[in-house]
Amino acid sequence: MSEDRSRILDLLAGGKITAEEAERLLDALDARKGAAAAPAGPAIQGDPGPLIAALPKYLYVKVLAANGDNVDVKIPIVLVRSGLKLTSLIPPLAMDKINDTMSEHGMSVDFNNFKPEDIDELIGGLRDMEVNVDAKNGDTVRVYCA
Amino acid sequence: MKLPPMILNLKVASPHRRPVHLWLPLFLLWPFALLLGGLALGVALVADGVLVLRGRRYHHYTVLLARSFAALGETRGTVIRFSNEKTAVDMTVR
Repeated sequence: MSEDRSRILDLLAGGKITAEEAERLLDALDARKGAAAAPAGPAIQGDPGPLIAALPKYLYVKVLAANGDNVDVKIPIVLVRSGLKLTSLIPPLAMDKINDTMSEHGMSVDFNNFKPEDIDELIGGLRDMEVNVDAKNGDTVRVYCA
Repeated sequence: MKLPPMILNLKVASPHRRPVHLWLPLFLLWPFALLLGGLALGVALVADGVLVLRGRRYHHYTVLLARSFAALGETRGTVIRFSNEKTAVDMTVR
């Protein structure tokens, strides 16, 4: 019997945890062991080409102003990812100033709460994102990834 | 990690003027960037060392510098186009 398992059973015997809690802990312990015993190999089996091809490569921002000004920006997604990941390394004092300035301009985004896994999720979600703005004055803005 | 951008293509066109096509070799700036980067890296390493010795939680200036340099490399492929009735500007980072 492993040390962790015997400790859980001791806690149960001592009345420090309920039977349900002990069951949950034992399940979690089994799951952890199962994950640790999984064969170490590539997370993606087979040819990753189609999966990579399905990921967006660029972020597009297109602005068509009613007065004839057109702006078309194409930014590599990897740059967006790098930029977002940089936010987790900005010194706290500078980050507070950035947050304050953004808040003053109506964007209440707290970059202190950005974690690398959130950034990956955010980038993954960009694939399905499309922003279309049609202003009353005829200006149109489109933001999408492809 | 990608290399920093090598070339900046800049095209400026207007109806009454000859179009301008500039091919800016950014790779010529690399030696200066390398020199400045080396100096900055030294300063960042010393700063981080001092911060670690003082027990500060934040001591990531070296990583910040390295990641910034990496982000610079990711700018390759960026395209910015602007046009209106008078001018059309096309800027591509390669």
